[in-house]
Amino acid sequence: MKDYWVLVGSFGGGKSELSLNMAVRAAQKGPCMLVDMDVINPYFRTSERHELLEKAGVELVSPPYALQKIEIMSVSARVYAAFTPGEGTVIFDVGGDHVGAIALGQYKPNFQNIPPENLHVLYVVNPMRPLASDLPSARTMLEKIQGACRLRVTGIVNNGNLAGMTTAEHLVTGYELVRDLSRETGIPVWGTCGTEGTLKEFEAYAKANGLDEAYIGKRYPIEVMMHRSWDKYLSEGL
Amino acid sequence: MALKLMKGCEAIAEAAIQAGCRYFFGYPITPQNDIPEYMSLRLPQVGGCFLQAESELAAINMVYGASGAGARVMTSSSSPGISLKQEGISTIAAAELPCVIVNMMRGGPGLGNIQASQGDYFQAVKGGGHGDYHPIVIAPSSIQETVNMMGKAFDLADDYRIPVIILADGLIGQMMEPVEMPNNPDPVKKDKPWAATGYVPGGKKQRAIINSLYIETEDLDVLHTRLSATYDRIQANEIMVETYNTEGAEFILCAYGTVARVCKAAVRICAEQGVKVGLVRPITLWPFPTEAVHNAVAQESVKGVLTVEVSDGQMYEDIRLAVNGCKPTEFMGKAGSAIPAAEDIAERIMNMRRA
Repeated sequence: MKDYWVLVGSFGGGKSELSLNMAVRAAQKGPCMLVDMDVINPYFRTSERHELLEKAGVELVSPPYALQKIEIMSVSARVYAAFTPGEGTVIFDVGGDHVGAIALGQYKPNFQNIPPENLHVLYVVNPMRPLASDLPSARTMLEKIQGACRLRVTGIVNNGNLAGMTTAEHLVTGYELVRDLSRETGIPVWGTCGTEGTLKEFEAYAKANGLDEAYIGKRYPIEVMMHRSWDKYLSEGL
Repeated sequence: MALKLMKGCEAIAEAAIQAGCRYFFGYPITPQNDIPEYMSLRLPQVGGCFLQAESELAAINMVYGASGAGARVMTSSSSPGISLKQEGISTIAAAELPCVIVNMMRGGPGLGNIQASQGDYFQAVKGGGHGDYHPIVIAPSSIQETVNMMGKAFDLADDYRIPVIILADGLIGQMMEPVEMPNNPDPVKKDKPWAATGYVPGGKKQRAIINSLYIETEDLDVLHTRLSATYDRIQANEIMVETYNTEGAEFILCAYGTVARVCKAAVRICAEQGVKVGLVRPITLWPFPTEAVHNAVAQESVKGVLTVEVSDGQMYEDIRLAVNGCKPTEFMGKAGSAIPAAEDIAERIMNMRRA
């Protein structure tokens, strides 16, 4: 039976980054398919990293014509291949917000056949993003996304970050948000993401301040793969 | 104040709201769709009005209407859409109406592409519509600067009754940077006695008339004399420019927007090789900082000037006017969306040095 990971969340929260990291790691263990379900935004999508994914042995399913200068914002028929019997990992990188999650809703009949232990729907939260930074807005977004994609979220991910300026402080802010969200919704916190250094700093803080393990979850170190092409132009003048 | 990780388009929209903008009319085009998208969500929350018009023409004329009624109003588009808006912008300039227009430049001409470009300098600065007029043109180089400029843009528009163009490139719109957003629950409200609002027949207030048609030569001349005086005041008071590392520099780089940031990296690379290079970055493209450019390049230490743009050399013309032949002046750049690398700019400077 394949293992399914569906990453949803507000726009710019870090879904693509986490998807890439998960895919590359999963491909080291077995077959892995990454489905780029972002039909909302033609920029900064996992498909841009197709070379990296190919090298890592990840099968990438992109929207038709993605990165070919014409964007028709549709999903590929190949998505159905994700639901054929077999082994390995399937990761869905879903477009931002509930608007982006709509495209996933059509696969509800397919997802229904997957046993709950094989289906993980992760809600990625970055409190440093506008319109998703406090409990009411994060909760509203969660509910809207669940409605749009017709799946229940099974885990919350703390991905507090300020891009290149990220410190453990942002993960602490994220911790507070996912803790409150988890308490309110009853959805467990799946894990906390960050670069190795940031996670270490966070770990020390968590120990010193007695943060509740239940709301930290799995430590998931990530490498920045969805590197932002403008960084090479704009090292100065922030 | 806390930093937020914001996309340029979102930051522009939120900063406009913080500056008191309550009306937005627009039509979708990449790479600025996140502005209307954000506005459509946020404006109703603050008692404002977002409307997706049926076309760019409709959108700019709605801006004309809202501005004429005294509102703080904004529209945004990207290059091809801004071309469609030019008739309206000319009319707004003639009717002396304040508004803010964001152009998130993409590659042209025609439909071009959806990557960043600086090909609309002439259109923005020289007046893309017909007739003698100027909009104020502001070219920020980071998301934070864009945020800081939005309030200023609305104030300038109101103070001079003029359209203000935020001329950014697609990079500014699409990239994410940490920003500090002002929180301004009670933005300044400018007195607008000229606004066509609240006329009551038989009341004390005179009927306000917003117009751009002056059939008689003398009447049109009155308008132009007034516009001309306004433009003089703007040129005297509102120039914004950043000079960076220019004192005693051997070469001066001239660039605006995100390209200026690439140039800053080139300044660093040259410094590592023992060559002092400075940068003049016009923040207002109109009024143009002619004097600042001239003063920087006229220094005895300066051997040459290099203008860098993602265009075929548009601001280059204004730079040459400012240099006025006092130093050798070269251009580096390409039309379209090819953003030059800092290393290549530094290499070009080294070549100029060897020449």
